[in-house]
Amino acid sequence: MSYYITTILIYAGVDIIACLALNLQFGLSGIVNFSFIVFQAAGAYTAAVLSMPPSSQIGGEQIYVLGNNLGFPLPWIGAALVGGVLSVPVGLVVLRRLRSDYQAIAMLVLSVIATTVITNARPFLNGAAGLSLIPPPLSERLNPYSNEYAYLYVGITFACLLLVLFVSYRIANSPFGRTLRALREHELAATALGKNPVALKMTIFIVGGVIAGLSGGILVGFIGTWAPSVWLYPETIILFAAVIVGGRGNNLGAILGALLVPVGFEEATRFIPNIGPVGLIPALQWVVIGFLIIGFLWFRPRGVLPEPRHTFRGGPAEETHWVQSGRGA
Amino acid sequence: MAPSVPPTAERVRDQAADGDLRASADAPMLVASDVHRHFEGMHAVDGVSIEILPGRITGLIGPNGAGKSTFLAVLAGTLPATAGTIIFMGHDITRMPAYKRARLGLVRTFQLPSEFARLTVLENLLVAAPHHRGESLYGALLGKRYWGKDEERLVAEARGLLDRFGMTPKESDYAGDMSGGQKRLIEIMRALMLHPRLLLLDEPMSGVHPSIVGEIASYLEALRDEGLTICMVEHELHMVDRLCDPVVVMAQGRVIGRGTMAALRQQREVVDAYLVG
Repeated sequence: MSYYITTILIYAGVDIIACLALNLQFGLSGIVNFSFIVFQAAGAYTAAVLSMPPSSQIGGEQIYVLGNNLGFPLPWIGAALVGGVLSVPVGLVVLRRLRSDYQAIAMLVLSVIATTVITNARPFLNGAAGLSLIPPPLSERLNPYSNEYAYLYVGITFACLLLVLFVSYRIANSPFGRTLRALREHELAATALGKNPVALKMTIFIVGGVIAGLSGGILVGFIGTWAPSVWLYPETIILFAAVIVGGRGNNLGAILGALLVPVGFEEATRFIPNIGPVGLIPALQWVVIGFLIIGFLWFRPRGVLPEPRHTFRGGPAEETHWVQSGRGA
Repeated sequence: MAPSVPPTAERVRDQAADGDLRASADAPMLVASDVHRHFEGMHAVDGVSIEILPGRITGLIGPNGAGKSTFLAVLAGTLPATAGTIIFMGHDITRMPAYKRARLGLVRTFQLPSEFARLTVLENLLVAAPHHRGESLYGALLGKRYWGKDEERLVAEARGLLDRFGMTPKESDYAGDMSGGQKRLIEIMRALMLHPRLLLLDEPMSGVHPSIVGEIASYLEALRDEGLTICMVEHELHMVDRLCDPVVVMAQGRVIGRGTMAALRQQREVVDAYLVG
């Protein structure tokens, strides 16, 4: 039971971190990053190969690049850095010239291409079989199978979560965040007011990439294995569903969404008895996720916890109050 | 009557190089020479040359499809010019992106409401403010202690504008919930937060309740009297009559007349193309 709880807590921490990053990109800035999972995967692969020994030392069962045997926290730092670095070329290609709807399509295509390339280029990251036996952080000093280790991992995960939450709050409640929201609302008008849309979007895209990479590093350190089958493009859709359900543009909404959709919904449906043909329940899970997104966009487009209204001291309404539903999309 | 002598970008650029442009109150603030904007063979703007003089409201009128809004967008940089030269305050801005032109003081509004709908009215104004320490990632991460003073100063400035335009009670309302006229005022106030040298207004009276049209006109007159230069596309001819001098008439992407409204009414070509058309 203790293992189950710590596992859920770590998954929750990783999902919340990922949803906060997606909320910065999509909720706050309007960037429909349908390739989000690629940045998480890049972080996971990076943390894996940085912490694993060279592939020649493990009998050639797995073929991969690097293999630096680095100790914690360097693989996680590397994961975050690679998530950010990968955002630069992607952002420069996608965010500079394409309209937002085409950006979304380009991101989706990128996600499919990335999975296909990694699956087929075996010498790079061991192809479809993926990487396994990834050493857990600090495993050279601690027993990774003990309860104490699991609690420590939860603690480190939540420390990272607090750091990400701090960054997200600082951005969302700053003039920088306000300008990103303006860009989301009307990019041309913001440009005509002297805002450089490409620089602003690139900045938040890279910040999101760094956080996504970190979330991948945390996840792979815990589960010890990583393969293309765990980061297919529908995984991004689940995170989008979480942000939409929780409330886009609101950090608390992103947290709530992460708890309700990737954690709550998937865990709850895990206990449904197997009925019908094999694979029916997982398929129905996707159907429900689809309906969840459509339902919220239709009936409650701002989510359970909508983006807060930002008011200022000394004005007619001093307190920050929540937007009531039904006041327009 | 033939259009007046087209401006020469070279002359203005030379003046700027000599350092006497900003010193001269009569020198044009903006000179557009032989500006073209083509859309796959369609000549929306076809060799337009105008001068915008400081401290005046220059009107840009013409029938639908004349190319007025396209020309305004080319001046502001939200559409690139296919050919021609645009000199603003001595700078050749022809290839300059829109956001850099805005930072130079060339600010535009839009024909359709372009408010930031999910930002409050006050936030709409604050977004426009330049040189805010909290508007970078670095500033945002450092927190309010780093940028709080800038914010306080700009909130006070924005509230001054809200007070002047009678919008104080709406400060905390979402801009998307405002009426058409209020959205127009928000756009004008937002532009003023940038301390523009030249304000380009694209049909500021369109979609506005008739009772507010006169109010907006009074605000524009007051801004002009304070020395702000404005160039305005407008269809409400009685407002153009009241506010604009000179007026430039466009049809089919070209300038077909310029002068005062009274003078333009005597020009047969203008009357045929627009005033009775």
